Amino acid sequence: MMLREDRSPRRYEAALKVRGAARFTAEIPVASMLHAALVLSPLPSGRVGRIDAGEALALPGIVRVLTHAEMPRIDRPGVLIPLQGPDVHHAGQPVALVAATTPAAARRGAASVEVAYERRPAILNLADGEPFAPKTAGRTATDSRRGDPETALRQAEVAIGRRYTTATNNHHPMEPQCVTAQWDGERLTVLTTTQAVFAHRLAIAECFGLRPEDVRIVSHYLGGGFGAKGGAWFPHLVMAIAAARVLGRPLRLELTREQMFTLTGRRQETVQDLKLGATKDGRLTAIVHESLAPTSMFGEYADALATVTRVLHACPNVATRQRLARVNAPQPNPARAPGEGPGSFALESALDELAYELDLDPLELRLRNIAAHDQHVDLPWSSNGLRECYRAGAASFGWARRPMRPGSLREGHQAIGIGMAAACYPAYRMASEAAVGIGADGRVKVRCGTQDMGSGTYTVLAQLAAEALGMSYAEVDVELGDSLLPEGPYSGGSMATASFTPAVETAARDLRGRLLALASADAASPLAGIAPERMSIADGMIRSGNRSEPVSELVARRAPQGLEARAGAAPEARPDFSAFGFGAVFAEVRVDSDLGEVRVSRLTAAYAAGRILNPLLARSQFVGGLIWGVGMALHEATVMDPHLGRVVGTSLADYLIPVHADMPAFDIHMVEEDEPRLGSGGVKGIGMLGTVGTAAAIANAVFHATGRRVRDLPIRVEHLLRPD
Amino acid sequence: MTDSSRQRVALALAINGRRHRVTIEPSTTLLDLLRDELGLFGTKKGCDMGACGACTVLVDGRRINACLALAVMQEGRDVQTIEGLAEGEALHPLQQAFVEHDALQCGYCTPGQIMSALGLIGEGRATDAAGIAEQMSGNLCRCGAHPNIVAAIAAYAGA
Amino acid sequence: MHAFDYARATEPSQALDLARRPDAAFIAGGTDLLQLWKAGIARPELMIDISRLALDIVKPRDDGIAIGALARLSDVADHPIVQARWPLIAEALNAGASAQVRNAATIGGNLLQRTRCAYFRSGDMPCNKRAPGSGCPAIGGENRSHAIFGGSPHCVATHASDLAVALAALDASVRVAGPAGSRLVGIGDFYLLPGDTPQRETVLGQGQLICAVDVPATAGRAAYVKVRDRASFEFAVVSVAADLVIDDGIVARARLAAGGVGTRPWRLTEAEAALIGERADAAAFDKAAAQASNGAEPLAHNAFKVELLRRTVRRALQVAGGKA
Repeated sequence: MMLREDRSPRRYEAALKVRGAARFTAEIPVASMLHAALVLSPLPSGRVGRIDAGEALALPGIVRVLTHAEMPRIDRPGVLIPLQGPDVHHAGQPVALVAATTPAAARRGAASVEVAYERRPAILNLADGEPFAPKTAGRTATDSRRGDPETALRQAEVAIGRRYTTATNNHHPMEPQCVTAQWDGERLTVLTTTQAVFAHRLAIAECFGLRPEDVRIVSHYLGGGFGAKGGAWFPHLVMAIAAARVLGRPLRLELTREQMFTLTGRRQETVQDLKLGATKDGRLTAIVHESLAPTSMFGEYADALATVTRVLHACPNVATRQRLARVNAPQPNPARAPGEGPGSFALESALDELAYELDLDPLELRLRNIAAHDQHVDLPWSSNGLRECYRAGAASFGWARRPMRPGSLREGHQAIGIGMAAACYPAYRMASEAAVGIGADGRVKVRCGTQDMGSGTYTVLAQLAAEALGMSYAEVDVELGDSLLPEGPYSGGSMATASFTPAVETAARDLRGRLLALASADAASPLAGIAPERMSIADGMIRSGNRSEPVSELVARRAPQGLEARAGAAPEARPDFSAFGFGAVFAEVRVDSDLGEVRVSRLTAAYAAGRILNPLLARSQFVGGLIWGVGMALHEATVMDPHLGRVVGTSLADYLIPVHADMPAFDIHMVEEDEPRLGSGGVKGIGMLGTVGTAAAIANAVFHATGRRVRDLPIRVEHLLRPD
Repeated sequence: MTDSSRQRVALALAINGRRHRVTIEPSTTLLDLLRDELGLFGTKKGCDMGACGACTVLVDGRRINACLALAVMQEGRDVQTIEGLAEGEALHPLQQAFVEHDALQCGYCTPGQIMSALGLIGEGRATDAAGIAEQMSGNLCRCGAHPNIVAAIAAYAGA
Repeated sequence: MHAFDYARATEPSQALDLARRPDAAFIAGGTDLLQLWKAGIARPELMIDISRLALDIVKPRDDGIAIGALARLSDVADHPIVQARWPLIAEALNAGASAQVRNAATIGGNLLQRTRCAYFRSGDMPCNKRAPGSGCPAIGGENRSHAIFGGSPHCVATHASDLAVALAALDASVRVAGPAGSRLVGIGDFYLLPGDTPQRETVLGQGQLICAVDVPATAGRAAYVKVRDRASFEFAVVSVAADLVIDDGIVARARLAAGGVGTRPWRLTEAEAALIGERADAAAFDKAAAQASNGAEPLAHNAFKVELLRRTVRRALQVAGGKA
């Protein structure tokens, strides 16, 4: 079923943003604020010795230079809060903070601080690290096993084993991270770029021994996040807050783009070994997926590389194993479709390779292995729309016309290839509260302490309240991004919308009930005496039969201070089903057969991801996710010098993300699902799904165009140069 | 607030049709003048190295990166920023096209995209979608609003 | 970000006078200099604003064209006579940077832009070009984008300009003004090999200024082919400028220059020689292309450029040769 995008409400805050009037964190002044700049270690491993700030302090505008010697101790295991000690664990780690009256003065000061280091041995390459099993992989178990995959592989009629690698990526939201910290005795106000006002409130309160209610976190507009404004930003946020306390003045720290390569997390590189066994007619009999990825010397984070492998395709014998090795590099953290993105590159590339081993159409191979239930946890699906995604995507793309043989399609110098992949992403939820109120002016207000990274949170909050109340979208105001609001979910794991939707709908229904009861009981209302269940609200009017009254008049008369209802919702402790969003992505690429340049010309994708609240914005989210897949496939790589342990190329001219000219024609299909069992109001989350499978679909298309199987991302011209 | 013992220089220029006289350090970029000195935060600082286009403004009608221009060199010039487009409550039709086509997500690159598009239209190059995409490639977007941005520009330009 | 003083020059002679200070720098478009300044690589005490000097004129003549050093890249690329008679220049300009940068950057500044080598641009990693004697980590480190021609044990950074590649193929000259008067330097002599002084990139001395670029007339058929890692707004992995004069189906003159492969814009003289007197057909183009990488000295990560250069030359010859 096609959803009508043209009837979708437009983005709630769009007018503000196109005017340039939405105030981002770095644009909110605080009186008597100082500006911070950081002195960074050039060494990947060592110990800070003497720090000479004399020259810096002599410069105009410099107020103070803070090092680990002056900073209060903060006990927070597992993260590296800078300036807590002399040890250096990665190049780019802050070793001093310069506070000055202007940003330019602070930067000049930072450039003038002289730091002596004792150099220590470093592990700079993943291959040199010692593999170990992390406690978890993302939100999932590190290893898994069902059946007997080793025996099944040995006995398989067809078996393949391949190694795939993916590059380190950086998130690079367009807005750099920023914090302005303001202390007032034991109370703290933090304006910052955060994907989690409440999680950061709690963690910051813990770091500084404060009561959570004495900490206020504000983040009204976020210029993108993608994972870089959550836990990865937290240590530097804490550093700035601590510095503000020492300075006794409000302090702003705004990162430079260069610092966003080392201080805000990264998608870890991966080495993945995939073994598949199958029958000759294309039924999977075994999957073994083993991976290695780096983590830092101080923290432990593993992307959930195996999630997709465990559930996407039916297979009785599956083993997955995820290992980390420590290197002297910045701490990796989740980036859009963490794990599921790189993991699906390996799995869905291997599926394509198996299809060619079997001489079976890659889509047909997948159709023969649709999982009837979630075999990993042995539970039924809440729903699984994968078959419909395959059908809708293939039909729209014209997959049936694809010749099987690689190198079949040409136009002049261009070899044309088409490939596909499947996708899934777990439907996560967390607890959330929300409040929905109405004022005497008839305007509805939704309040929820979540954030909008650009994903459409303002819009869907307003829509949910308007629909549940029977008011119009234009009559709703939204407040979010403030820890003074009811506690909302963090923006990550594609879970914000699924988390707050039931809370907002419950609150709105409660408010609606109270309004109707008020009308029923109010002698002055034309609706007096009518049972509430015989009334309806539409377009701001309460109606029953031929009697009606505007909601605003009722509220003005009976509740001049306004009415508000609050509600909370939390996920089921042990659901008796498994919930995932599914998708199928079809890619057409054009490869210059002499020069090796790859361009994606078409991307068709079909998604079954539960209830879609706003088809227009959902399409934007899916397209955004797909573009991240294009970047992962063809452009993005954070390059580390193998000897210096430094990032080589620290600008957006070095770290390539796709530009307008790289864009394919997009064709997005949304398969609407009825999900009555999901406590999320049927919402599954969509932000990650577009990035799953996409890189594999593109790599598979490159194989189809050229006959060259590229197993290392990003795909570059050198992968495709070979004698004709 | 003085950052250095350097000379400060007087500068007169027009911003969105209004004359401004300021005294600044010579090393102040046009971007920092707009944001830090004049409070015009609509022009964004995405990379400060000319690699993202978020700071695009028009100077004498031509689009440039405000982060790679010294303010003092704009003496006598006519600078247009995103704040100068709407007429009161009424959005500029290109801004309205961005709203209609959902040509933004986080909104941080958006002012630069819009100013760049106005420059592009002024150059007479907004002839078809592929041309618009090529000529808009100096404006990065990380959310992935690209196809909607090009659609909005094409709709406004009648391409 | 080092603070500096500012002076606006109104006459070229005044600019040259101001530039007697050894710590002064000229600024016009500023699109590269301000990046270098922000990274702490350029630390001028005085910025001499030359953007208002009347050196932005594009003057076609019978025997060529003089392009003022301060002409903006976009203005030159859009100039109808440049487009009609030197399309190679327009193509190379439009293949580079972004529209915003092309609107600000000048012809002279483009020729003087510094390498994109990330070690150089980092501001504080070892780099012999930025900090002579500190070493070259690219040679044993990450060198995919580095040169296969013209490197030395001290530096293997490529020159980044697309325009300079086109001008090299067109045998352009750079008009240089200094306190002692002006001189004309062929583009082949303008850029220096790194040798053991990689910090010196051109013959331009302190206080000297590019006034103009003189490009001789050409009857050739031109092509600029640029291979890059994304579709736009990206430096060349490899680029080739070709200018072919074909009489009666025979190659009378062939000029080929490449970018992304050399420590300066690189003329491919052996490939050129292989074309002269040959019938302008696929076989001759293949034969010439096979000579393009002679003498290449690849590093660990850029060996693919040896073959990629040959293929890019072949494509450029096919495109140029295919033009009427």
